[in-house]
Amino acid sequence: MSVIARIHLRRTAAAASAVPLLFVLLAANRPGELERRLAHLAHYAPRPLEVRRLGGSSTAFDRRFYFFLESARRKLPEDVAGVAVFGPESEQARNLVAYQFAPLPAVVRPRPIPAGWIAAVYGPVRPPGWRHVADVSDGALMWPAP
Amino acid sequence: MTSFAVSLLRFAAAISFVWLLGYAMTRALLPVRPRSERLGWGLAVGCALLAVGKAIGFAIGVTSAFTLLVALGLFLSIRFPVRAAPETAPPRAGPRWPEILWGVAAVLGVLLYAFHALTEPMWAGDYLAIWGLKGKAFFGASEGVPHLFENPAFGFTHPEYPVGLPLLYAGLASLARRWDDHAMALLFPCFLAATLLVLYGFLRRRGASAAVALAAAALLANFQGLYSAFLTGMAEVPLAFAFLLLATSLADAWDARSDGAMRRVAAASSIAAATKNEGLLLVVLGLLMTWALAWKGRTRARAGRLSLALVVPAALSAIVHRMVLGNHPLRDFDLALLGSPELPARLWEGLSAFFTLYVLPQWAGLLLLAGLLLAGRSVPAGNRLLLLCAAAVAVYVALPALAVQGPEWLVTWSVGRTIAALAPVATAALALRFSAE
Repeated sequence: MSVIARIHLRRTAAAASAVPLLFVLLAANRPGELERRLAHLAHYAPRPLEVRRLGGSSTAFDRRFYFFLESARRKLPEDVAGVAVFGPESEQARNLVAYQFAPLPAVVRPRPIPAGWIAAVYGPVRPPGWRHVADVSDGALMWPAP
Repeated sequence: MTSFAVSLLRFAAAISFVWLLGYAMTRALLPVRPRSERLGWGLAVGCALLAVGKAIGFAIGVTSAFTLLVALGLFLSIRFPVRAAPETAPPRAGPRWPEILWGVAAVLGVLLYAFHALTEPMWAGDYLAIWGLKGKAFFGASEGVPHLFENPAFGFTHPEYPVGLPLLYAGLASLARRWDDHAMALLFPCFLAATLLVLYGFLRRRGASAAVALAAAALLANFQGLYSAFLTGMAEVPLAFAFLLLATSLADAWDARSDGAMRRVAAASSIAAATKNEGLLLVVLGLLMTWALAWKGRTRARAGRLSLALVVPAALSAIVHRMVLGNHPLRDFDLALLGSPELPARLWEGLSAFFTLYVLPQWAGLLLLAGLLLAGRSVPAGNRLLLLCAAAVAVYVALPALAVQGPEWLVTWSVGRTIAALAPVATAALALRFSAE
């Protein structure tokens, strides 16, 4: 087989693999999903970052919990050394808590609670003996008992 | 203007600024042409200097470290530019329409990824727990964040991971003067664009036609196994970029090209090692291949000099991390399992999970990839890059046997995306097999 014929054959074989491969890759873009993303972006783009996160995937496991965290973050006293969050103990909650309060250290249910850390208590139950600091959405900020 | 649009503009300006500065410094690493490859390297150089500047600022309180580094980089690029004969790309042959079609497909891939990445604030678990958390903490803290590296309650943030990406996040947020993890996602389509520029430029100067180089770029740009909303914010996309920089530099150095290849190996080695621990692994594999090629007499490279260029920057990056942030063990692995009688069963469990989760569902794409591999011809540079990828895949597939939480857990959550990060190198290797005869 001549060199030219060999090159031609190689090109044809390459195109016969590359073009279908491009279609396989492009098929991963589902029109329904693209539409949903566009609607999501159009709805949330005018809103502040906190609201954009509220509508996003990282808070989907419990959006009220994120609302509580953001509400607590806004009402933190200035001199706190860290935040002990009393809420759900899932991995998603752990990640969101740490991220939301950064650069302050924040941990879900630390034992013991380090000195100087404030407690953000999610839900209606208030641990006895703890000092109330402020009400936040779906919870409260409290100083733990020494 | 909307809240998001304002932030997006600020981050676009910050990224453009860093990219342009980096581009101006690439004369110390690459010849004048091809410009596309220099442009791609520009983002890597700019980002690396911004991250190093942030680290120096943190460690010794010099807030103008980035400015000093840029001044030094510009001086070096003017004083010690790479002097090499301009590369001559192979003459244009055949019709132009394939180039136009593949080019459009490549641009479409970048735009689609940008759309996926920018739909909402970065959200993946590892972004919140590791990369974004450290970046946000570095940005917001004035005196360091020791709790992330010393407090066992924060072990989940993997204090043993390199901090190049978090430092880059903090640096960009400082330039943009705000933390907006939605707008900052713009960095990721920029990483993709830079990866494609490097891929295209490298392939063109190594003899591939414009159509082949653009086809490679188009296929890579549309690979959602790597360029997805989920992986945006995590280390795999920048790692894939660093892998390509390192592998293409190594390919040049193995062929003893006197066009700054050794300098690029050193730069890429430090970038890869500072991005993720897998970067260190690729450096080690590159080193082993360098020695094997030298032993077999298959390379004209000076193995000793190349070994130093590979190892010193990566080792320095790892040593500085351990000295400043502490020597933390690899949290996910138990090396004691190497001597355990369970090892063969664990290896098998990892392998079967890998085939079930990744190979079988992707059979059509993999079959077409095999077709592409067979359609090409044997080219030494391409073969070496394929061997490098194969060695890395072999290690990734074997490593789950040592996973603390079990082989299946590691294969499910990590192995697929880590292997996906090799896609740019594999694409370059495949495309080289179609370079001019």
